[in-house]
Amino acid sequence: MHPRLAPLAALLAVSAAMPVSAETLTVYTSQPQDQMTAVIEAFNKDHPDIQVELFRSGTTEVMAKLQAEYAAGGSPADVMLIADAVAMTQLKNDGRLYSYAEAKTDGIDPALIDADRTFFPTKLITTGIVYNTDLVKEAPKSWADLAAPEAAASTIMPSPLYSGAAVIHVGTMTQQPEFGWKYYETLAENGAVAGQGNGTVIEAVARGEKAYGVIIEYMALNAKAKGSPVDFVFPQEGVSVITQPVAILKDTDALEAAKTFVDWQLSRAAQEQSVEQGYFPVLEGVAPPAGYPDPKALKLLSADSGRMLAEDQENKEAFAELYGG
Amino acid sequence: MLLLLLFAHVLFTSLWPLGELFATAFRPGEDGTPLGLMAQVLAARSTGRALANTLATSAGSVAISAALGVSLALAMGLARMRGQGVLTFLILMPVIIPSQTMALAWIELSGAGSPILGPLGLAPPQGRPNPLYSAEGIALVMGVEHMPLVFLATRAALRAVPGDLVEAARIAGVPRWRRLCSIVLPIAFPAVLASALLAFTAAVGNFGVPALLGIPGRITVLTTLIYQRLNGFGPSVAGQVAVLALLLTALAVAALALRTLLLRRLQVPLTAGRPIEPGPAPPWVAAAVWLVVALIALAPLAALAMTALLPAIGVPFSLATAGFEQFSQVLGNAGVRRAFANSLFLALAAAAGCMLVALPYAYLYVHRRNLLLRLLDPLIEAPWVVPGTVVALGMILAFLNPLPVLELSLYGTMAILLIAYLARFLPLVLRPVAASAQMGDPALDEAARIAGAGLGRRLRAVFAPSVLPSAIAGGILVLMTALNELTLSALLWSSGHETIGVMVFALQYEGNSTAAAAVSVLSTLLLLAICLFTALCARWLPKGALPWQH
Repeated sequence: MHPRLAPLAALLAVSAAMPVSAETLTVYTSQPQDQMTAVIEAFNKDHPDIQVELFRSGTTEVMAKLQAEYAAGGSPADVMLIADAVAMTQLKNDGRLYSYAEAKTDGIDPALIDADRTFFPTKLITTGIVYNTDLVKEAPKSWADLAAPEAAASTIMPSPLYSGAAVIHVGTMTQQPEFGWKYYETLAENGAVAGQGNGTVIEAVARGEKAYGVIIEYMALNAKAKGSPVDFVFPQEGVSVITQPVAILKDTDALEAAKTFVDWQLSRAAQEQSVEQGYFPVLEGVAPPAGYPDPKALKLLSADSGRMLAEDQENKEAFAELYGG
Repeated sequence: MLLLLLFAHVLFTSLWPLGELFATAFRPGEDGTPLGLMAQVLAARSTGRALANTLATSAGSVAISAALGVSLALAMGLARMRGQGVLTFLILMPVIIPSQTMALAWIELSGAGSPILGPLGLAPPQGRPNPLYSAEGIALVMGVEHMPLVFLATRAALRAVPGDLVEAARIAGVPRWRRLCSIVLPIAFPAVLASALLAFTAAVGNFGVPALLGIPGRITVLTTLIYQRLNGFGPSVAGQVAVLALLLTALAVAALALRTLLLRRLQVPLTAGRPIEPGPAPPWVAAAVWLVVALIALAPLAALAMTALLPAIGVPFSLATAGFEQFSQVLGNAGVRRAFANSLFLALAAAAGCMLVALPYAYLYVHRRNLLLRLLDPLIEAPWVVPGTVVALGMILAFLNPLPVLELSLYGTMAILLIAYLARFLPLVLRPVAASAQMGDPALDEAARIAGAGLGRRLRAVFAPSVLPSAIAGGILVLMTALNELTLSALLWSSGHETIGVMVFALQYEGNSTAAAAVSVLSTLLLLAICLFTALCARWLPKGALPWQH
């Protein structure tokens, strides 16, 4: 071959090698890298024949990537494992999800499962308050404490423009009669700011750049366990909750492997592993992580998810209006 | 034939993507008004804000680059001090280290929990955001990063100052500072100005620094605005961001055009002669140079390394808390290992590919200079000259839709990354190869031709060996640059095809900055190992191939 052709040939070889075999499963997720590595390792112990590839980013960016690939003619993604049910519902309404009727959901609260069985909860993740123990002498107790001028001036929260958990949290809070958009206006007036994802929140609070943060519980409690000077509070008015749903995409080329992955996510082994990683389990009879309250004793803020989906765009715009894009 | 193949290569990697980008930017608006899209985007408030931020941070960074670069070049060029080689390497360090690593290192250095400033009592107070999350912070870090551009140009200009001129002034009793101000500086001035404009172009196109400092600080510049729009909304906004890319290109190209003009206008004919003989450095000069180098090159990297040794963010650094957990954790992460493998593959393939294209091109450049070739020239330079964000966007626009005939889309594959790397880094190899080809003797080729050697044979047996050292030097430069590439990869990566730069960026955004620091430290070590290896091979390379040697 002529030397000048080599790069082109290499290109073609690389791109020809791209189509994935049936044993490769591509998972698009918003769960952190290191956690997913452990998840895949554990999954491969039970199913060594399935190779899992990963794309990880914030839920909003994962969705954008998927849309981009559909525009390009198809996505390599087989399974979605993202933070919020709103984004999943959007995919379902677009006809992108596979209805997995025979999924093994024994022991999981049916209220958490999509009625058409297109997506399934894998864990419960609540949003509460993190604070820096070097900077805060008296721990906050409630969402109302956070809105007080001194506290709000040193508060950071995740933005629904990046984080799926924040989409649900803002959607839930604004549906509460006692909070509503008024609460977010007060926070903004008193100087609270928005970061991007929950990662930026723990970063700022652990470094002592901010004293308080709104955050998903495991991120704060994991950082605390590793030695960061932070602690977490489940506010007394209640917490918002997301279920980190998993779903199979309809045009997957690895349906059997995808089903295996979904069933495994709902199995006891996977649930126990996610407890180790600091998550509340969804499976009946699996104990929550040490130091976490009993999920049944937690006060959950109720939310109408249909309304949340309808108001999604509106909520994001209203939030951007108060806290910038 | 050779020419046609080259043309096809350039068409595929440069002309098509960039052409697609410009065509998109000039599309009519939704209501069909000509140039409607452009008018709409240019009128948006976010565009104006990003443009103003880009100009302000770039201008600020140029001031810092120029002040630092000129002072260091004067000190190093006019005075002799111990450890000259080490000092030069350290001064060039900011441009060798990738910008995301630099930004991360500066964040660790300047935060409230700084492991270096903290014990000295100089760290900023707690309870406030990192002071670098601001326009000034972006300007500072970019200024330091691009300082070596000014340093190198000024140092070269100082070597061209005729020593006799300065000597004559000294004998005539002109005091030292006036010799500096009225002889040396005026002669070096055009070079300083030209390199400042180069630093401006680099700052305008910089992505790593404004991404890590500006996104948390909410200072959006054009490169990060394009990235955020594209990532948040997907390719449906490609048209809008194409207009932003056009704006970015216009800024970069305007600065470079101005530079060419200045160089042409301000060039002074100088008598050839012995350069200035550097005298021994006064102790305070040597001390100042070491202090500056310690502050801009060593302190940030030390802070980064110390952070990588911590178990979690916010833990104060001490011998009791430090350990190698982060390293074992990131090395145990399959994603991180794959990123290293991907980056090494891409960097090696890009280096080899660029060398393979550069050789025949340089041959034609010297032996068959014709019109088509002259047309190719700017097309080859373009992907390097315009900001990386623009190139990446062009790649998305060109390769998102399935390729004709093959019916497969390159978007979401490793191929799109490789094509982008090949396009962007080709000039890095081509320039030194073409330069050394021009110095070669054309009679050699002629003799081989008369002796009956065909084109392929002549290329292989006569031409290639004569330019091989410069091709290798260029290839190493590509390897070092591509290994830590972020700007292109951030927009083009996909599942399974992440690069080291993307991995650092992603880990930082997950809130796992200790792991991000560990990956950065590993990639910096890899880079330094390549530098060391190159330095050991230096005697087989052409003189001046390595910028930190004389």
